[in-house]
Amino acid sequence: MRVLNNLKAVPAMQKYRYFLITLSCIAFLGPLAFLPQLVGNDDLCGVLCMRRFYLYFPGMSWDDLLMHITVAWIGVIAFAVILITTFFFGRVWCGYLCPVGGLAELGSRMLNDRWKIEFRSLPQVQIRYGYFAAYMVLMPALGISACTLCNFITVPRLIEAMSGEYRGIVYILSTVGLVNLGLLFLLGFFASKGRAYCQFLCPIGAADGLVNKLGSRFRWARRIRVEKERCTGCNICARNCMCGAIKMVNRVPVVSQTSCMSCHECVDVCAWNAIEWTTGPRDKKPKKIKKGVEIFPEPAWQLLSEEEMLGNPLNGAAVARIRVGRLVNGLIFSSVIAYIAYYSILKLAG
Amino acid sequence: MKIFRTRPGDDIISLALLLCALLFCLPSTVTAEPRKPDPDGCLTCHSLPGLHWIDEDGMWRVASIDKSHYFSSLHGSVPCRDCHRKITDYPHKVENGYVDCSESCHVEEPSEGEAYTHKPIVDEFEESTHGKGWHKDFAGGNRFKELDESKLPSCRRCHDNALYISENKTTLFKESFAHTETECGTCHVGEVWLTQMGGHILRRFLGNRMNKNDSNELCLDCHNTPEYLKDIELEDSETGEKHKPDTRWLHAAESYQRMLHSRLLVVGVEDGASCVDCHAPQGLHHKILRDEDEQASTHPDNLPDTCSASGCHGYAKIDENKDFVLTDMHDTDLLAMTLFSKEEFNNFTKSVWAILSALTVPIIIVLAIGSLIWAFTGKNRGLIMAILGGEHFQVYMAGKKPSAKKRAKSTTARTPSRKSDSKPIRKNTTDSAETKESDND
Repeated sequence: MRVLNNLKAVPAMQKYRYFLITLSCIAFLGPLAFLPQLVGNDDLCGVLCMRRFYLYFPGMSWDDLLMHITVAWIGVIAFAVILITTFFFGRVWCGYLCPVGGLAELGSRMLNDRWKIEFRSLPQVQIRYGYFAAYMVLMPALGISACTLCNFITVPRLIEAMSGEYRGIVYILSTVGLVNLGLLFLLGFFASKGRAYCQFLCPIGAADGLVNKLGSRFRWARRIRVEKERCTGCNICARNCMCGAIKMVNRVPVVSQTSCMSCHECVDVCAWNAIEWTTGPRDKKPKKIKKGVEIFPEPAWQLLSEEEMLGNPLNGAAVARIRVGRLVNGLIFSSVIAYIAYYSILKLAG
Repeated sequence: MKIFRTRPGDDIISLALLLCALLFCLPSTVTAEPRKPDPDGCLTCHSLPGLHWIDEDGMWRVASIDKSHYFSSLHGSVPCRDCHRKITDYPHKVENGYVDCSESCHVEEPSEGEAYTHKPIVDEFEESTHGKGWHKDFAGGNRFKELDESKLPSCRRCHDNALYISENKTTLFKESFAHTETECGTCHVGEVWLTQMGGHILRRFLGNRMNKNDSNELCLDCHNTPEYLKDIELEDSETGEKHKPDTRWLHAAESYQRMLHSRLLVVGVEDGASCVDCHAPQGLHHKILRDEDEQASTHPDNLPDTCSASGCHGYAKIDENKDFVLTDMHDTDLLAMTLFSKEEFNNFTKSVWAILSALTVPIIIVLAIGSLIWAFTGKNRGLIMAILGGEHFQVYMAGKKPSAKKRAKSTTARTPSRKSDSKPIRKNTTDSAETKESDND
């Protein structure tokens, strides 16, 4: 009964989202693998791989990149479509369709929140992009196969193993399979809200997050935006955010656009209508106002940043401070770019 | 309307043109003399149905040859005695029928005018790990003996005298030789060329007769059956000692099939790599050597060249990628641990992967049992926090004050410094008693 009541309490939008994830699990995974088989593949690897073609090898030429792209051309197209939709609508693939992250999330939501590991408060951006850089540059150079920690293979194999297929069972019994299964459990089923893999290790999510952040600079892009004036600081959005994208700063939710998946749950749980998945404010004021009519200001849907919220109001200026997180990010990115530039120049010179 | 008037000269020119055109329609006189496929008359007897005998082992043997099948086979244009040389008379002894693949035959290479021979391939084959396999003394009678005696592949284990080109494999062939009729056909005219020589020569164009999947099929035929391979004794290249093969070698085909190289080929993407692409990329693709051999294309020193071969990993030659080329392509970590021998399993338990899984499993078990018990006995009222890191989340993300106990414990370095600038938080609608405790900032 309690289960049924809990189910009934799920907001309508979230029910719809769970339904979509279930559908895509059926379509993408397991014994049916309906969609991949349309192109002759029985899982998400090979020509469908979205995670491998952008790996960087020192001295790589454009031809090599082209080769990587032609090898996984369907995956490249899918990846491009994901990034484009993200640019306009937020990370809808991650939140609504991804069968791999979705399965972990649904599994986690079926378990009680008490016996879980809370990953959401870890420094997400640093860990994610640190790993992303290592994944793109360090791992290929060291000769570690990019596929070893890929859950796009683990999850389909797990479903296969459960349906009794030989290949899935073999994978689960192998060393790499066991470690990946461990990851699926610890960063999936037993992670609070089940999205820890997406937040820390998924390279698609990492690239997607960057595009999400880029798109959020435009007013017409749909993102999770906050109306500061309406917010009471009850923090229910932060507690329900599955990505840990919402952080309460000065009792106002700040949405990290690199982490947010636009899953809409914060909107559903907010009693004050203070947070919304929408485009930016139109900023339109009538030139003249008819007598006797009162015009209310439209809500200012804002993308708040932590700095804005932390700015010391007494000084009237943003306080200069060393932001450790930004420093780490900057170091990671600049060293990766320097590395790539160095070897590209070497290649051109030699 | 404009009318074209004909001049007197025009008629003669058009007549001459017509005659010229007619000349081309006349049957070509330059056709070659048809080669007799059976000049020695072997098939007079051998094409008879029911030509059987019982050998010394009591095995019933068939010596009948299906004529049409043979003529349409790869060697259909080669006379029997080109290979079965010692037979001069009939009835002949079985031993006299022995075939040596390195002999030359009477089929001439039209370009060189020399008798064709498989010798270069046999020479290369002899240098390879398979080198002790049979390449001579073949006869119909000793097919089973060959299988019993040696597990090494002989020429004929992989290369049967296949039909010219089977219908399902002609797509690639047709694509490559779409121009045969016009280009080759201008010089090599006539039935004989097209039906016999043409087939033989065209098949020899490397890479066109077999795609990567076809060539893999030959290797996997033996290498994908560990039951067949497990009795083979491998020779140590340095000491010459013989030893049993390990799991890595026995299941090399299986681990290969899990990697991208194979997976791409299976779905029809030709950018994948076949066995031969890495193990015998040079020459006539028969010089397959073990990794330890310095000449082997898979020897660590030669890998940069092998991997950077045409169209593959062009960057592999650069020094910085020297670890990349060492990526394990037959990773035993992808094989089920049940395949490991006891020793190998003991070695495996010391690996990083094993330690990692040993660490994760207990945590998973604790969490699983905990949530199972909680599901029946736990109270779902109020705020439920995760047992690991839940408190930190409340403080860092949800903006709750850390409890007094916690703050007393933690040193100045651990307290979230950012919070110190922020406004004190006075009210938290849903928080429990802990908030009230900590109201003295």
